[in-house]
Amino acid sequence: MRRSGGRLAAVAVVAALVWTLAPAIRAGEVVTLRFSNWHLVETVWGRSLREAIRIFESRNPGIRIVPEPISYAEKEARYQAECAARRMPDVVKLHNFSLTMFFELGCAADLTPFVQKEGPGFLKSWYEFPIKSLTYKGRLMAMPGDYMSMVLIYNRELFRAAGLDPNRPPRTWEEFREYAKRLTRDTDGDGRVDQWGFSIPASKNPGLPLRILPMVWSFGADFLTPDGRRSAMNTPEFREAFRFIVELATVDRVMPPGVTTFGPQDVRIQMAHRRIAMKIGSGWTYPIVNAINPQLNAAEVLEAAPVPAGRRRITAAWLSGWIMSPHTAHPEAAWRFIKFLTSKETEKKFFEDNRVISSRKDVNVLPLVKMDKFSRVIVQELQHARLEPQLKEWPEIFDAFATALQEAITGAKPWERALLDAHTRVEGILARR
Amino acid sequence: MHGVSRAATGWIGPRRALRLREPAVGYLFVAPALVLLLAVLVYPALTTLRLSVTLPGGQLGVQHYGQLLSDPLFWQVVRQTAAFVVASVSAHLLLGLGAALAVAGTVPARGLFRVVALLPWVVPDVVAGIVWKWILNPLYGVLNDLLMAGRLVDQPLEWLTHPSLAPLSLILANVWRGFPFVMVILLAGLQSIPQDLYEAASLDGAGSWARFRFVTLPGLRKVLVVALALDTIWEVRRFGLVQAMTGGGPGTLTEVLSTQVFKQYFQFYRFEYASAMAVAMTVLLLAVSLPYVRMIMQEE
Repeated sequence: MRRSGGRLAAVAVVAALVWTLAPAIRAGEVVTLRFSNWHLVETVWGRSLREAIRIFESRNPGIRIVPEPISYAEKEARYQAECAARRMPDVVKLHNFSLTMFFELGCAADLTPFVQKEGPGFLKSWYEFPIKSLTYKGRLMAMPGDYMSMVLIYNRELFRAAGLDPNRPPRTWEEFREYAKRLTRDTDGDGRVDQWGFSIPASKNPGLPLRILPMVWSFGADFLTPDGRRSAMNTPEFREAFRFIVELATVDRVMPPGVTTFGPQDVRIQMAHRRIAMKIGSGWTYPIVNAINPQLNAAEVLEAAPVPAGRRRITAAWLSGWIMSPHTAHPEAAWRFIKFLTSKETEKKFFEDNRVISSRKDVNVLPLVKMDKFSRVIVQELQHARLEPQLKEWPEIFDAFATALQEAITGAKPWERALLDAHTRVEGILARR
Repeated sequence: MHGVSRAATGWIGPRRALRLREPAVGYLFVAPALVLLLAVLVYPALTTLRLSVTLPGGQLGVQHYGQLLSDPLFWQVVRQTAAFVVASVSAHLLLGLGAALAVAGTVPARGLFRVVALLPWVVPDVVAGIVWKWILNPLYGVLNDLLMAGRLVDQPLEWLTHPSLAPLSLILANVWRGFPFVMVILLAGLQSIPQDLYEAASLDGAGSWARFRFVTLPGLRKVLVVALALDTIWEVRRFGLVQAMTGGGPGTLTEVLSTQVFKQYFQFYRFEYASAMAVAMTVLLLAVSLPYVRMIMQEE
């Protein structure tokens, strides 16, 4: 009895010690957050993000950030699989078109309680539109990241060499077509065209809608009827827009061969090496092009202008959002990191490094943003910008369009037939809802 | 215990006990592999099957299969997959057989030739796709440069965007990548054919064609079936190369079943429909692999 009593006492002492010291041990623990972002694979953005992580870690010694690079095209697939396995990184960045899907799948934590804890005026620094767009069923599910309009980026030197005024970019689509023809040239006199007026990433990639929507919308067309129940891809306006885009490649030949295999980076490489004179891009274009070919002197040579107008002046908006994994073991630390990433200081750094425009009003009124020649146009055009439709079916609807575009450009089908097939497919997609 | 027989106490002797325990020990050895198979194969397969019959609201039904059967894109993709597989596997067999015969013979630097011939098989699927995409690029691609330098074409060919050239380019890259696998299998088969048979045939006056037809081919029959079955299964599942080279385009002209399943699941978020497509693909693969399984079972 005496021996077992002694053992019991020893166990009790150890338990008491553990109970007393546990908070102290925990206080010394380092919380590790997994952070995934497609920008981590990019030269300029990747460096900027890693610097931001170092700043955050130095100020928060109890939190360690583990960066997990991912490709832009792969992110949705991987995060979905990880979310299903409750292994999604603690903090990730997503483009607006897939955010709704993640909200619906329950793959984003509700940020409302964290925002409420910050005080009533916390969200006042942001534009209302991004906050509204990232609110799902009355709850804020993501913190807005960058918010930009798509604009026309062009090369002043190539304009000048083609006899065009570099201070007068095309304002209408007809003007644009004429400019593109003049800019499509044989520059070395070997009898073969080696410079093209315009290029677009017409492979099936998530960057294509941002470049196509401004063109389609400005012709007065839309993909769906206003109630979102039917395809509007058979309207005269849509047919006109589609034919215009296709004929840039097939009739005017102002786009390089192989355009249906290009991704956004291919087009940036073409711009960096003076193979094309115009593209549709945004704030990120200049630093990436500059990194590809510093000899281009992109800051001086490239210029931004509003996307040409058709029946209406309109463009597409880019919006990204930071989401927290619903399964994170460290929600407080994850929120602290998201708050840091979306702070005025960090957003200012992101602008300085990457020329991306913030969804924070207090950043965009800073002189360095207002004085920048690219940002000035991008911020100004935000008033004409619309987001991609936030529908679960949107990727499939756009795939139908991209299929038709490729079929028409490559001659697999006449453009009318390709578009009609796409319209029929979209009707089928919408009928399932 | 004295005076009680061993049988009455249930004692069965060391040799017999060992014999009885043998199956149990065998099961113990295969248990880890079995658990792994259940975890990474059976569980996902059952989950996919369950998803494929899950309807909105959680009820069960076969509507997704109905949709699949009436989806023209699905049938187009099935046809394209069949064409891709038949062309690739046929070319693999022809090239693989040729290469195996070459490296089995007394060619100079045979070892080096074997290593070089194996290299495409070593290259990962996606890397091979990216390399071929660059080779065939209409602006910077080396193939067009060579053709134009040799004055064989006037303008760069759009290998991956022309409706007729794109499927051919894909098959070309896939043939390059896949023939070494068939070569290795057939080489093993060639080396197992007894030399005496060739000598006897030669004594009977058989020429090289007759020796190939009446000795080599019959000797390779079983190995050819194995190579055919395994290669077909792999080619039906081919994903990385197609995705990296064309992404299924232009339009949907180079879509195959695996790229469609990926798109439906991960890009269009149609989990149930994609699962039905994956189940259909599995059934197709099972049908393709039946002759191989039957042959193995007959041997056993």
